[in-house]
Amino acid sequence: MIGYTELQVTTNFTFLRGASHPEEMVLQAVAYGYKKIAITDRNTFAGIVRAHVEAKKNGIQIIPACRLDLLDGSSLLAYPIDLPAYSQLSNLLSVGNLRAEKGHCHLYKKDVYQHAKGLMFVVLPPARLNEVFELDISFKKELKEYRDVLGAHALFIAATRGYRGDDSKLLHRISEVAQALSIPMVAVNDVHYHHPHRRELQDVMTCVREKCTIHNAGFRLHSNAERYLKSPEEMVWLFRHYPDAIRQTEVITEACTFSLDELKYKYPKEITTAGRSPQEELIFLTWNGAKEIFGPHIPEKIKSNLNYELTFIEQVSYAEYFLTVYDIVRYAREKKILCQGRGSAANSTVCYCLGITSVDPTKFELLFERFISSARNEPPDIDVDFEHERREEVMQYIYAKYGRDRAAVVATVTQLHHKGAIRDVGKVMGLSVDTINRLSGLIWDFKDEGFDKKRIISQGINPDDPTIQKVLKLTDEFIGFPRQLGQHTGGFVITQGKLSDLCPILNARMEDRTNIEWNKDDIEALGFLKIDVLALGMLTCIRKAFDLVKNHYDRDLTLANIPQDDPLVYEMVSHADTIGVFQIESRAQQSMLPRLQPRCFYDLVIEVAIVRPGPIQGDMVHPYLRRRNGEELVEYPSEALKEILSRTLGVPLFQEQAMKIAIVAAGFTPAEADELRRSMATFKAKGKVSYFRDKLIKGMASNGYTLEYSERVFRQLEGFGSYGFPESHAVSFALLVYVSSWMKCYYPDVFACALLNSMPMGFYQPAQIIIDAEKHGVNILPIDINDSDWDNKLDVGLQSEDKYFNLRLGFRQIKGLSEKDLEVLVAARKKRYATIQELREAGVSGTVLEMLADADAFRSIELDRRSALWELITKDQQVNALFSSQSVSGDEEQKIVLPAMRLSEHVIQDYATTSFSLKAHPVSFVRAQLESLHAISNVALLHAKAGTVVKVAGLVLVRQRPGTASGICFITIEDETGVANLVVVQKLFDRYRKEIIQSRLLMVEGTVQREGEVIHVIVKRCYNVSVLLGQLTETDEGNLSAKPSRSDETTSPFLSKSKKPAGEPIQGLIFPEGRNFR
Amino acid sequence: MSKRFVSIWFNHLTTDWFALRRVDLKKIPFVLRSPVRGRMIITAANTVAEAQGIRSGMMLADARAIVPDLEVADDDPSLVERLLTKIGVWCIRFTPVVAIDPPDGLILDVTGCSHLWGGDESYVGDITKKIHSRGYDVRVAMADTIGVAWGAARFGKGSLIVAAGDHQALMSLPSEALRLEGEVIDRLYKLGLREVSQFIRMPRQALRRRFGQSIIMRLDMALGQQMELITPLQPIEPYQERLPCLEPIVTAVGIEIALRKLLEALCFRLHEEQKGLRASEFKGYRVDGKVEKISIGTNHPSHNVEHLFKLFEPKLSTLEPALGIELFVLDALRVEQQLPKQEKVWEASGGLDDLRLSELLDRLANRAGSDAVHRYLPDEHYWPERSIKVANALLEKPNTPWLAGRLRPLQLLRVPERIEVTAPIPDYPPMLFRYHGNIHEIVRADGPERIEQEWWVEQGQHRDYYRVEDAAGRRYWIFRLGHYREASFQWFVHGFFA
Repeated sequence: MIGYTELQVTTNFTFLRGASHPEEMVLQAVAYGYKKIAITDRNTFAGIVRAHVEAKKNGIQIIPACRLDLLDGSSLLAYPIDLPAYSQLSNLLSVGNLRAEKGHCHLYKKDVYQHAKGLMFVVLPPARLNEVFELDISFKKELKEYRDVLGAHALFIAATRGYRGDDSKLLHRISEVAQALSIPMVAVNDVHYHHPHRRELQDVMTCVREKCTIHNAGFRLHSNAERYLKSPEEMVWLFRHYPDAIRQTEVITEACTFSLDELKYKYPKEITTAGRSPQEELIFLTWNGAKEIFGPHIPEKIKSNLNYELTFIEQVSYAEYFLTVYDIVRYAREKKILCQGRGSAANSTVCYCLGITSVDPTKFELLFERFISSARNEPPDIDVDFEHERREEVMQYIYAKYGRDRAAVVATVTQLHHKGAIRDVGKVMGLSVDTINRLSGLIWDFKDEGFDKKRIISQGINPDDPTIQKVLKLTDEFIGFPRQLGQHTGGFVITQGKLSDLCPILNARMEDRTNIEWNKDDIEALGFLKIDVLALGMLTCIRKAFDLVKNHYDRDLTLANIPQDDPLVYEMVSHADTIGVFQIESRAQQSMLPRLQPRCFYDLVIEVAIVRPGPIQGDMVHPYLRRRNGEELVEYPSEALKEILSRTLGVPLFQEQAMKIAIVAAGFTPAEADELRRSMATFKAKGKVSYFRDKLIKGMASNGYTLEYSERVFRQLEGFGSYGFPESHAVSFALLVYVSSWMKCYYPDVFACALLNSMPMGFYQPAQIIIDAEKHGVNILPIDINDSDWDNKLDVGLQSEDKYFNLRLGFRQIKGLSEKDLEVLVAARKKRYATIQELREAGVSGTVLEMLADADAFRSIELDRRSALWELITKDQQVNALFSSQSVSGDEEQKIVLPAMRLSEHVIQDYATTSFSLKAHPVSFVRAQLESLHAISNVALLHAKAGTVVKVAGLVLVRQRPGTASGICFITIEDETGVANLVVVQKLFDRYRKEIIQSRLLMVEGTVQREGEVIHVIVKRCYNVSVLLGQLTETDEGNLSAKPSRSDETTSPFLSKSKKPAGEPIQGLIFPEGRNFR
Repeated sequence: MSKRFVSIWFNHLTTDWFALRRVDLKKIPFVLRSPVRGRMIITAANTVAEAQGIRSGMMLADARAIVPDLEVADDDPSLVERLLTKIGVWCIRFTPVVAIDPPDGLILDVTGCSHLWGGDESYVGDITKKIHSRGYDVRVAMADTIGVAWGAARFGKGSLIVAAGDHQALMSLPSEALRLEGEVIDRLYKLGLREVSQFIRMPRQALRRRFGQSIIMRLDMALGQQMELITPLQPIEPYQERLPCLEPIVTAVGIEIALRKLLEALCFRLHEEQKGLRASEFKGYRVDGKVEKISIGTNHPSHNVEHLFKLFEPKLSTLEPALGIELFVLDALRVEQQLPKQEKVWEASGGLDDLRLSELLDRLANRAGSDAVHRYLPDEHYWPERSIKVANALLEKPNTPWLAGRLRPLQLLRVPERIEVTAPIPDYPPMLFRYHGNIHEIVRADGPERIEQEWWVEQGQHRDYYRVEDAAGRRYWIFRLGHYREASFQWFVHGFFA
């Protein structure tokens, strides 16, 4: 056996240098028969866990190590011999990370000296000799210093055969100095890629790093491809004159026995009361909570559940984890921050009693084993959602409680996506921006199938062009490369000891945040526990709604005490009256609701989960609906699956179900099923997808399932990969769906107000929420300087004849204003303002006043926007104030009469400032023209027979082209009577692309399609009639006929200038562009 | 006599210019773009694109969503000014006072000009027609003031000639015809004041208080109550000398005299302006209408009459006077700055700066053909054939240093030559090789240096280079093409060391 171990391996976690994944390096090492290799990325451990996992799978070992690039000295490779040494190194990196900004690590020699205990070092000599073929004196000095401080036993010097022409000289000089200082010379190959083919990608990455193209990169590239992982035989051959250099690799390898498996994650000891152990504390708190919820007589079922679960928790000793979550939730409750747990463990009875979730465990049947799968010894999964505006407080609480050295956010490895990859590669290869755009445009609705030749040709690019081919090939390799470490949305790792003993800590981009270098897969592989502290906008809205209900209706509401199973609420939901409601407000959800007719809580769970890429791609939606409506027999592919599928009438809808099928029907192990799901989510494992596909289909076939069924299950799994929606999450979300629906049903005034104050969130613009509230009988009052606050609010005092409070719109609805601008105005409003002058004296700035005038907020002092503006914009106001008796604006000014504003002009201006108008709907002004074009109103659509051809028109609210709908575009338009839902098939979309994208006011001709209450218009033709809106602002006084001649249609060679043609563009600025979703 | 002005508005100045270079751009949607804060913004759109709803100021991505087959080119921010200046200078044929009016127009002071064309109509018509025939979309308007002409060109309806003393024309123009800032225009529109007539009679005081002094100034300018100054363009005279002859010249002596005279005149001017020529053309216009010409180039800007004459001299014989030449023209095609150098008392001659060297090179190149003399500079490539490039000028500075740390031969063969070798496998240098029939025994060697193909240029095997010395002390740069492990590889010699 040849004793060589590669000790210098740079993976792609040294961003833009290493050109192979850690996994690829390991696999190549396995192929060459290495027993061990070191992973030495620059100042980071980010890639070692992946390498470790892959190595373990293949029965070899890695030496977790790193290359230390120092600001004041030669680089060192550092290898920890044991666990304490590893912690030293990890702490050293943390020191460097925390003193630099994100993405940098500033280390000095003295830092290394302080953390050197137990580390083996290899110093990297200069790449070339100086003019007199000698190593620089300064390097020799430094080498001596290193030896003296680090010790001769722990220091080596690296020798590399780079085929640079002077290898033998360089090696000779190194061996000389090695002997002189008695520092052993050790052979390394400075590996940057696992195979010589990757040199091309490595060159491209160098260019990206150096911001140059491949053509002018010159000597910044390497002259050859020798930095690949070579076989031990080859290395022995290359160092045939220095056999000792090979032997020395063994010396290091034998000394460094540390493996990442030795990392012992210790969960923090939670602070307990009255000397109880964590388990006792948990039991105590749980029963206390149960008594609070159920009173002294706890139902038998709950009792047995709790006993069962608590025993289980004791077995796997996760009591502390539950206590941690409990503590965070307790803190949030104390601070009146609304929260709601979700995730598999969150829906346990224990969590319900601890108040982590408000979902009543009696509402559904979930077995507790499913919460924590002990088979894989997987940590429990509890995510807690908090109000998005206040989550930071919770995060800071966690930092404060455990300290920054014990708590940090998990990293997310940002991988290079198709677009980024092609942009980088294309730029380096010297493609024009235009060609790159076209190529990346091909990814517009890109899936994972790669580039299609025909589509490339359709973009006018020759797919056989060698450069293009090279670009595509390199792009393909580049996709999935890690590009930077970001912070996870809210995953915390908390430890008992110092976190930096386990993993380097670094600064996050955001202030006051620190995170670790590993992502959730990494920490999962090492068995670390993670708590997800997430932000959810709807919780903000619900909390605001609770506050409003308390203040105006004097009713104390919580997530748990909202009356359950209210038929009125389900009635409303079944009619798809769900604008603003959590999760089920989208177009797709709205068309599903009347078909599904949810009648109980579990129906909402299904509703949340069914309109998702998983079930849609798996073609599970229609079978479920048919079975539910009794049109199809409920049957099971096999008895074994009945247990899994009975709750969903035999149709797999949830992620767990699909995974369970893989286990039960195709014979996967739970770990394999999990890997299968994960491989769908990441691009790196492209090869694995087809491997699993074959395995699944074969496995299911051998168990007697039809090919068609197994393919459907696979497609569903594919859909779940990226947008996984397990049942436990759906359950937690369903609760919020119910709460928000209940609020909308009983307090539409409160609901609209809270929703508007939590914007931006959800699917709809303020205009739709306001219109919807009006429809539910809420009286909406305009923004006014004397009556409005920053937030929208409910007017005090309920008139006896009114059901709801009046909703007074706040200044926050005006575009471009900030809360700070308005503070003075509200603060100084002791009594009602009577003149603009008073506002000025209060200190409201001119620009703010002008914006208020634009928003027509001066009506209470009897000024419309135009007169207010005329008064406002005088520049000599100061003088005016001093000599108000002898005002300059004497009689002469009195005589000035501004052109009166028509209602339509006001409406347009309202839209320009607040994106809605309470005065009228813009479409109502062009109704006559639309009628002459034979367009019917949207409300008339309700009475249109299915199959008839109609024309409808309206403002475009939403354009949506979901990836799951094969190029179909869904458009929602709105007129003064309501909304209409349009469906445009791919072919027509391509044809009417311009109209669809450009129109503010869109008119379509199409066939009416009815399915129960759901009405769609299947579009045949589109017309952009936005120009009609342009007429709304034009004056209609005859004597001003000489309008600027700027129509676009003129045929004269003198095309008029169109800075602001009367028609479309000005509207483009005013009307909110329809929102685009994919 | 009252003033008259013409305003010329180019609707699609830059896109028209591109279309002149690529005719198909007239017919397809075409835009120019330029990056603004990291985003690509459309800066100009042609008629076809505009008709499809593309406007300048749009984001390119948005425009592409509307028109996927949009043709795009990079805008050049200096283009507008350059074009306007060029067309402006050309417009001096219509009036001596032409000023550019960025970003899209020209202003002509045409006071007293139009009668030469037989009236305003045909004058404006001629300007329009001539510019249009050069390929530019324009609107041309004439009025008593720049303000009205400017507004009428861009917003006017009907006749674009505003009669002298007509103030009504201003009334019907929209507010933005007054050349006001965008903010003021927005306000005017918000207040419903869309046309000049709606506010021109308002008290000046009321207007000034709200819109500032600029609106008053612009109104006064448009009404002719305030002078507006323009900066007329000054055309640059070409470096050209002409010598008309009373009698057609037929003799060589005559031609020589003519050339010398012209050179003297041209070099005098160049000398005065501290310039020197790099390329020049000498033309003779013959009686029979044909043009004879010869041209020369220099390595160094020169205004040395003697030197330049010597460069022309050998070529003079190729000029065919035939029945005689009646006009000689000498053009300086390329002129560069030549600042006089401080003369030193003790100057060591030599170096690239030495004028005598460059003049010698000029003469050599002139005689032996311009390919005969080369100067090489390093180029940033490892691949030896591409590691050098031919310099364009004598004084061209290398933009990269010569590859240090890797020894390269003094003489590099243009094409490597095959050699036969006896070499121990694997990657040891050969023991002997046969080159041009002679056997060379290798006594010393160094290497290998492995150089891979530059994969973005071409694909192929790598080379392992060795520096070797034969028994006679001659040093060679030889390489093996391909890895020693491969079945077939070949040896070549590629250069010689000193």
